[in-house]
Amino acid sequence: MGKEMLGMILAGGRGSRLYELTAKVAKPAVYFGGKYRIIDFPLSNCANSGIDVVGVLTQYESIELGTYVGAGSNWGLDGANSLAAILPARERGDVGATWYAGTADAIQQNIGFMDDYDPEYVLILSGDHIYKMDYDKMLDYHKEKGADLTVAVLNVTLEEATRFGIMNTNDDLSIYEFEEKPAQPKSTLASMGIYIFTYKELRKYLLADAKDENSKHDFGMNIIPAMLADGKKLFAYEFDGYWKDVGTVDSLWEANMDLLKDSDLDLFNEKDDWKIYTEDTLSKPQIFGPDAEVKNSLVTQGSVVDGSVSGSVIFSNVCIGAGAKVVDSVLMPGVLVEEGAEVYKAIVDTDVVISAGQVVNKEAKDVALISNNTR
Amino acid sequence: MAKIIGLVNLHSDVSLGGLTERRPAASVSFLGRYGIIDIVLSNLSNSGIDTVGVLIKEKPRSLFKHLGNGNAWNFNSKKGGVSFLYNEGASGPYNHDVNNLIENIAFLDKNTADYVVIAPAHIITTMNFADLVDEHEKSGAEVSVVYKKIKDGKEAFIGEDIVKVEDGVVTGFDVNKGNRKNTTVSLNTYIFNKDALYKVLKKAQKASVFFDLRDTLNYMVDEAKINAVEFKGFAANINSFETYYDTCMKFLDRDVNTAVFKSNWPIFTNTNDTPPAKYLKNSSVKNSFVANGVICDGEIQDSIIGREVTIGKGAVIKNSIIFSGAKIGNGAVLDHVIVDKEAKIKRVTELVGTAEKPLYVKEGDTV
Repeated sequence: MGKEMLGMILAGGRGSRLYELTAKVAKPAVYFGGKYRIIDFPLSNCANSGIDVVGVLTQYESIELGTYVGAGSNWGLDGANSLAAILPARERGDVGATWYAGTADAIQQNIGFMDDYDPEYVLILSGDHIYKMDYDKMLDYHKEKGADLTVAVLNVTLEEATRFGIMNTNDDLSIYEFEEKPAQPKSTLASMGIYIFTYKELRKYLLADAKDENSKHDFGMNIIPAMLADGKKLFAYEFDGYWKDVGTVDSLWEANMDLLKDSDLDLFNEKDDWKIYTEDTLSKPQIFGPDAEVKNSLVTQGSVVDGSVSGSVIFSNVCIGAGAKVVDSVLMPGVLVEEGAEVYKAIVDTDVVISAGQVVNKEAKDVALISNNTR
Repeated sequence: MAKIIGLVNLHSDVSLGGLTERRPAASVSFLGRYGIIDIVLSNLSNSGIDTVGVLIKEKPRSLFKHLGNGNAWNFNSKKGGVSFLYNEGASGPYNHDVNNLIENIAFLDKNTADYVVIAPAHIITTMNFADLVDEHEKSGAEVSVVYKKIKDGKEAFIGEDIVKVEDGVVTGFDVNKGNRKNTTVSLNTYIFNKDALYKVLKKAQKASVFFDLRDTLNYMVDEAKINAVEFKGFAANINSFETYYDTCMKFLDRDVNTAVFKSNWPIFTNTNDTPPAKYLKNSSVKNSFVANGVICDGEIQDSIIGREVTIGKGAVIKNSIIFSGAKIGNGAVLDHVIVDKEAKIKRVTELVGTAEKPLYVKEGDTV
């Protein structure tokens, strides 16, 4: 029996606007929110939506990401009927060695994998967004509309619309046009990069696209316009929860800061049974020293706080020395802030040492990025 | 390396007051994110032992759920594994470790090994069993007892065995009644050559069907050579409600917690996928342990806070241990209190115990 729907996560991008943070790892493996990595969000959403076979397509710096995803045990995807499969660009018998030339090409190169599961539908996701979403509800909508492709959209402001791929729709939310970053937006429904395809349509369009030498092999630029031109049924699915693209240092910092507010993201799962799963670290509980101070922050296990922390997100095995001050910052795993050092409005990459007495970004105008890697 | 089977012995009669009303001491929460049994299981795992049997005396539900297939402690290898050894027919004086092992002798039969290490859960150590087995092997003895020299025998290890040691050999056992400061206590940890364990089990049954391992070793001490192996690392004994509280509080001392939480000796436990702890604008945390998933808008001082505890605005928690899922309402003041899992402090504004007698709020209760 085939699987009703497979999940395919596009996780091959470098995320070059994260600079040093992605010098050695792919963007989906970047740390987020005190204990997670970005890819935990789509993977947990899949697991919670009952999608139990998920392909993770990798290309740029895929070792750490591949090791992290493993067989999917962190997300409960390692059972007899479930799987997280790493699908790297690779040498293949019929065509030789190829890279993934675009989002559509990456999926096209894995038609063999998808065929093995004989799915009715395929969900395509990007590995670089922070949100909680029930894809099963989106599938219900896709079926109800009898769609060939459903695109999840977010209602943004008219000004923001100029920075997104915009779906122009009729009253029934059927899509008649797709515009990438329009100067004069006709609609404010921005694509979230989440697609549900009826598989036999997807397969047909991917194979046709692969033969087109002028194609950029991109879902937004090529596949969607081709389907619209053929009069296929494309629908927009409106999502109204928290969603954030964390493609830049500023947006990554902002998304971390959003967790300190009462956000719709509900990381604490106070509303429903929708946890975000992640790797467990073998660290001790958080330890606070006699003179520690902590306010308006997230702190995770394994960190030792002897100084003061406010408005910050602290990952595992971070040590903050006595008299040190961490303000409005994100400290990734293993960061050491020595005694008396001060850090303001910064993202501090893994294992960085801020030495005693050092003051980082006191002006705090822009977000500072401190890393042991070079750009 | 010699092949070793590890047995976790939960037959020690340890009662931690209300904490063990519905669960064995092994399942009691420890330092906010562990169960007491995690410590001995981690020691076995870190010592390279992956064939483990858990000798369960009673109330096994919470243990089954916690241990699962043992993968959190790396026992889920193809060759090793964790087995639950449970003697459902035995009750009262028949329900002891010797009878449990005889009932489940297939476990010993089916696993080839040179040595069997038997250790309790309620004595907290960072013991490398592989090193101790080496010492046992060198001694040429068939049985060894692991002991520790302590300087606080008047307060610690009360009711546990004292071992009399002469030239590295056990010459007798006694019970620690707290008479002497400097003494040598048994860590209830035994190393047997596997063959010798069978002989000892037989001997025990012949002597008295009520004899447990401890009784049997006592009985054997005159006729057989029982080797004594000294353990020099950290050891704390949790055998009462009060010693549970004291031991937990001791861990707030940086010297103690750095001696136990070593980077080359991880303490494993199963994951709960809880988010980081969230500290709101009125929070203050000093000299404390906090687990993940906590939401705090109050003050925490000299305390241990478990997973997913919520602490309301203006609440003050001092010298207390709060178990996972408990809710401490706005403005509540707690001093020297142990609040068990999922309990809610809602109506009272002040709960005060003492260091000698901490107040206890039962699992799930609302006060």
